[in-house]
Amino acid sequence: MRLSITQRQRLLGGYLASPSMAFMLFFFILPCILLILCSFWTAKSFVIDPTFNINNYTRTLGAEGFWKTSLTGFQNGLWTAVASVVLSFPAAYYIVYKTANNNALYLILLSWFSSYLVRVYAWRTILGTNGLINTSLMQMGIISEPIDFILFSPFASVLTLVHIMFPFALLLLVSALRDVKTDYIDAARDLGASGVRVFTKVIIPMSYKGIVSAFMFTFILAAGDYITPQLLGGRDGVTSGLLIANQFRSAGNWPLGAAMAFITLFLFGGVYLIFTQMLSVLRLAPGRRYHDLDQGSKEK
Amino acid sequence: MMLRAYLWLYLAFLYAPIFIIALFSFHSVPSLVFPFEGFSLRWYEQIFSNPTFTTSLWNSIIVATAASIGTTVLGATVALAMIRIKGRAKAAIAAICSVPIGLPGLFLGISLIIWFAQVGIGRSLVSVTIAHILYALPFFVATMRSRIEYFDQSLEEAARDLGATTWQSFRLVTLPILRPSILGASVLVFALSFDELIITVFVSGNDTTLPMMVWSMMRRTVDPTINAASMVAFALSLVVIMLGGLIYWLQRRAAIKSRKSISRVEEDEQVHRGTEQRSENVRPIHGFE
Repeated sequence: MRLSITQRQRLLGGYLASPSMAFMLFFFILPCILLILCSFWTAKSFVIDPTFNINNYTRTLGAEGFWKTSLTGFQNGLWTAVASVVLSFPAAYYIVYKTANNNALYLILLSWFSSYLVRVYAWRTILGTNGLINTSLMQMGIISEPIDFILFSPFASVLTLVHIMFPFALLLLVSALRDVKTDYIDAARDLGASGVRVFTKVIIPMSYKGIVSAFMFTFILAAGDYITPQLLGGRDGVTSGLLIANQFRSAGNWPLGAAMAFITLFLFGGVYLIFTQMLSVLRLAPGRRYHDLDQGSKEK
Repeated sequence: MMLRAYLWLYLAFLYAPIFIIALFSFHSVPSLVFPFEGFSLRWYEQIFSNPTFTTSLWNSIIVATAASIGTTVLGATVALAMIRIKGRAKAAIAAICSVPIGLPGLFLGISLIIWFAQVGIGRSLVSVTIAHILYALPFFVATMRSRIEYFDQSLEEAARDLGATTWQSFRLVTLPILRPSILGASVLVFALSFDELIITVFVSGNDTTLPMMVWSMMRRTVDPTINAASMVAFALSLVVIMLGGLIYWLQRRAAIKSRKSISRVEEDEQVHRGTEQRSENVRPIHGFE
């Protein structure tokens, strides 16, 4: 039997896709399924008993400590995401509409490759008790005692996380704004819209996807981070991410850690829903009310 | 121009901390504050004479190389598959390959640690490499994405109509078109792997990578050699990225040149969509300054 060219192409495509699909199945999908199963097991003195029960979940949901650390993690995530998106937007806007070259973008992306730890360490050096800020302020005679609260606080965590997430948020916003062609903006201007109106009725709805993904990415990465809070957050800065990581590193209660991780993921989903709903309520989400796009404007 | 000033501020915020660390890594005294006492290379000497550091650096280079080779093989085959497959199957493949980006690294780390324990894969540089491939593959596919979307399959068909075998058309047509992006993406993977810590913490055994070593130093002390260690890591990432950029640029230039020499009338397909229109529509919009 002879196959047609298209069939042969498809077959070849299937063969070509198989190694990576096998890899993803074996090292991503199956591990995730195992993690789900594991969250319903029990660990007794380092031996895992695989009988199904929901104790890990009830225990976690009933623990005040879990909610407290979750709140810290979510605050880190929210502040970081809001700051990253809001503060990166003007920079992205400038790069897309005001410059003809990509040099600024390359410079910003280059900073992304400065090691994660270099930045954590840099902020620790700057904010520390004997760090740059304190010593400079003392030399200028503004303060007589070093200020302690700036280091080992949620503020230090957020500042560092913002610094880490900036290039990421910017890249997503730039690629979103690239799709908002100036013709649309000019058309709105020609029809008499003010700058603010153009911004809220054209630019934001049309780059909506990019804004949501930039917000969610930075939120998830910041809220799930456990290294920055550990090095900079201090005692009040313990996040659920750190709590989960400790279940796997030192405490050794894997099932409990797995249950915590799924509850956290579930809460992340909640944040996503709240955020998109909020944008809809504020009339910033795309919909038929504003314009018809040929590329699937969804009725929200 | 307010926005312009803003962009400079933005860049200053991004780079100031890195510059401070760079500066103090050359400080001749152990203090990490101004006034600056003078330059010396003592911290670099100290760090390079530390066997733990050189071993970790070496481990990191091995893992990053292995991870970029592995990711490139998987990512390139999946890119070729996505050119050939259309519709729902393609969307499914793309989705499977990009989900891990949207999950916290912590989640990938813990799912792998349980899995490795269950399947009986010991924790070593091999498990670290596997984790890094999983972490980097979505980035690789995302980087290749625009190339895949704009790939013109009729070029392959034309080659075959002219009598080329499947292999020949791949070698002479498809690969040269994809090569720059593949190289660029594999360099990106190297840099990502070289810097990865969040997942590595869970899946590494007794062999530490450079970020893990720096991290354990940070947890113990405040020590000026950390500056030097961090700068070595950063410098290596930069060199790799620059090298990748250079290769990419040279490849593209060669490609454009050879195309011009055959006097093709067609414009070189832009890697960055929008650059061509942007160059002509850069003008201020009233009411935004």
